[in-house]
Amino acid sequence: MVEAHIVNIQINAAKCTACKACELACSFTKEGVFAPSLSRIRVMQLHEVGMNVPVVCVNCADAPCIAACPTGAVRRDASVPVVRIDEEECIGCGDCVRACPFGAADMNEERGVAIMCDLCDGKPVCVDHCIYGALSFEPRLPTAQVKRLAHAHTVAAQYRSR
Amino acid sequence: MLRDIAKQRLLHVDLSKGKTWVEDVPLEDLQKYLGGRGLAAKWLYEQVPAGADPLGPENVLIFSTGTLTGTSAPSSGRSSITTKSPATGLYLKVSVGGHLGAAIKYAGYDYVMIHGVSPKPVYLWIDDGKVELRSAEHLWGKGTREVDDLIKEEVGDPTIQTGIIGPAAENKVKFACFMVSRYNSASRGGIGAVFGSKRLKAIACRGTGGLRPAKGKEFFALARKVRGALAADAGSESLYNWGTAGSIPGLNEMGMLAAYNFSRVTIEHGERLSGQYLLSEGYLIGRESCFACSTACHRFVRSESRRWGGVFDSGPELETVMSLGAECGITDIEAVLKANQLCNDLGMDTISTGHVISWAMETYEKGLISPEQADGLDLRFGNAEAQLALIQRIARREGLLGDLLAEGTLAAAQEIGGDSWKWAIQAKGLEQSAVDTRAAKSYALAFAVNPRGPDHLMTETYAEFGFTQEARDVIRKVTGDEKYADPRLTEKRAEIVLWHEQCYGASEALGFCVFTSTAAFAVNPENMAQMFSLAVGVPMSEEELMLAARRMVTIEKCFNVREGARRKDDRLPWRMMNEPVPDGPNKGMITDQAMLENLLDQYYTAHGWDLETSIPRQSTLKYLGLDAVCVGIPVIP
Repeated sequence: MVEAHIVNIQINAAKCTACKACELACSFTKEGVFAPSLSRIRVMQLHEVGMNVPVVCVNCADAPCIAACPTGAVRRDASVPVVRIDEEECIGCGDCVRACPFGAADMNEERGVAIMCDLCDGKPVCVDHCIYGALSFEPRLPTAQVKRLAHAHTVAAQYRSR
Repeated sequence: MLRDIAKQRLLHVDLSKGKTWVEDVPLEDLQKYLGGRGLAAKWLYEQVPAGADPLGPENVLIFSTGTLTGTSAPSSGRSSITTKSPATGLYLKVSVGGHLGAAIKYAGYDYVMIHGVSPKPVYLWIDDGKVELRSAEHLWGKGTREVDDLIKEEVGDPTIQTGIIGPAAENKVKFACFMVSRYNSASRGGIGAVFGSKRLKAIACRGTGGLRPAKGKEFFALARKVRGALAADAGSESLYNWGTAGSIPGLNEMGMLAAYNFSRVTIEHGERLSGQYLLSEGYLIGRESCFACSTACHRFVRSESRRWGGVFDSGPELETVMSLGAECGITDIEAVLKANQLCNDLGMDTISTGHVISWAMETYEKGLISPEQADGLDLRFGNAEAQLALIQRIARREGLLGDLLAEGTLAAAQEIGGDSWKWAIQAKGLEQSAVDTRAAKSYALAFAVNPRGPDHLMTETYAEFGFTQEARDVIRKVTGDEKYADPRLTEKRAEIVLWHEQCYGASEALGFCVFTSTAAFAVNPENMAQMFSLAVGVPMSEEELMLAARRMVTIEKCFNVREGARRKDDRLPWRMMNEPVPDGPNKGMITDQAMLENLLDQYYTAHGWDLETSIPRQSTLKYLGLDAVCVGIPVIP
């Protein structure tokens, strides 16, 4: 186990409008093109129920993608608590894609490498482009603390409105 | 496929021959017409000969994405569909949001041009580079939502994007629509009937490619800046909170809420039709964006009405609650939600459906439609049950009245006779959208000269109300003085209309929602030109952009001229010119014939069009570089 301090992009699906600005910002920043298929974050539009759910790497503590990678290209360095893919070492076998339970890893077929969110060195561009508040990022706090704070604010609002 | 934005591709589909091919679009054409709606106008002019039957094999359907669709430019995901309208026999462009345009872009195409008529029902399946026509015989007769489910199941991917017609379009109802991404409607002018006549049930697309702007980093930074400005605009905020129907309380207060077939402009309990009411009463369950949008005016609603049954749907939009609600004397929002859902599923434009029914209600109350002719329906204003029954009958052309109303208000009034034409709220054959043009002069002029008929979706001059500082700034820029931000004035209206029609044209050619540039104002001709230039990699100034938009407006006019339309056709519905506003704060106001003639003189003069006929002069065409394009019309030096 590497991490007690898990940092994630926080997702509030109720606020997501499926504008896909996150996908456009991500693919442009990471690949130099506007291509949702190459974005590390993807929004699933559940048309039949009117909900939109962004899906992105959640930085599992016991990450199946790391375990699955045959070359060690997918790893979490001690210095940065984020699962990342070393493209030099990636052989494009797709084992991490198959191993990820969330579909957060994918392939860039043209370049023959796997792709996955790396949190943009602590300044995720998708969060910057999300004007609806569906995505947020608080790198100084572990995920659970962020959740607790959000929950506390909800509870407080309920009390204050009485 | 990853490609440069400058390298546009046109996919041709010939339904008669079952053939498809791809054509590259020359860069100079993209520069001259801006792409999207602009290039589509030129192609329509070239492809569809004068006098062609809109529902025959000579007509074409041109689906165009915006030039910036698929990029991070905010709210740039809208598409246009251009054709010859079966409702008016004239030029028709319909704009639509959703996500289909972006999918087509990523599949490797900027435009899809549909030719001919298929011998059997088909749907078009674009799977990146693979394009095929598939049988739709098993889908024919089915509603739009069921077909959406079935096509996704058939191709095995629920994340694809679709555009689908319902039974109304198959039955060539003159106001049938085309439902995109399940919940977005390309509505007006009978666009769906053209799909129906071609036996094209749907377009389905999976696009996994991408787009490369010429100057990527600068483009990305500018788009982000504009996105932020747009999100902060007061107009955007209201649209996010309450949707387009958030304007209802204001309109009711201002005496501009068309009600009872425009015989009144206020309605008791009008607030029950508002976006605010949908929110406070718990009908609103979510907000939705079109592709790349930073406004999210679209919404999801749920109703569990005992009387009308359960509804889960998108919308309802402002025009929908006015047309199906207030215009028919109905303020029971649950009934309106049901009517909206029926129209969406059967595939009919809610504006025209509401107005053809409100016309029938007034005609029935005045005794010109007998109970027998109404097939037993009690068509008095306010009867939601009768309205719901009639919607179904129109879509399926059932009964005498259902079949008659399916032809639209103009044809129905001609058939019923008497004075019923006077309250047929239409011009050029298109039902007017529920905007009162008597108390707002730029609106009146814009509606009268609109090439597709009287509505707010080719030019909307919202700024003339001067509600916000941004709006007043636009009026100052266009007229030289903020004091012209007054809808009651007749001066400077041509300048205001011309600027707005060009701003609209440029926005739509690039894929921008007009809410970004003419309701909120953070997208403007200057930054549109910059974004175009950075994305395509050619110089483009604000002046050149607006000139290109004027070019497209002129081609659209010339299309109508070639079909025989003249100055006399640039009219408002009779009631709008002859019956003053009946109630509310604007009581007594009117845009009468003489006033309209004055406004038309201003407008044609500003355009360089002949005053007597409204035909664009050769000198104007030459100046715009259209003398070789707009051929076959009377030559006026």
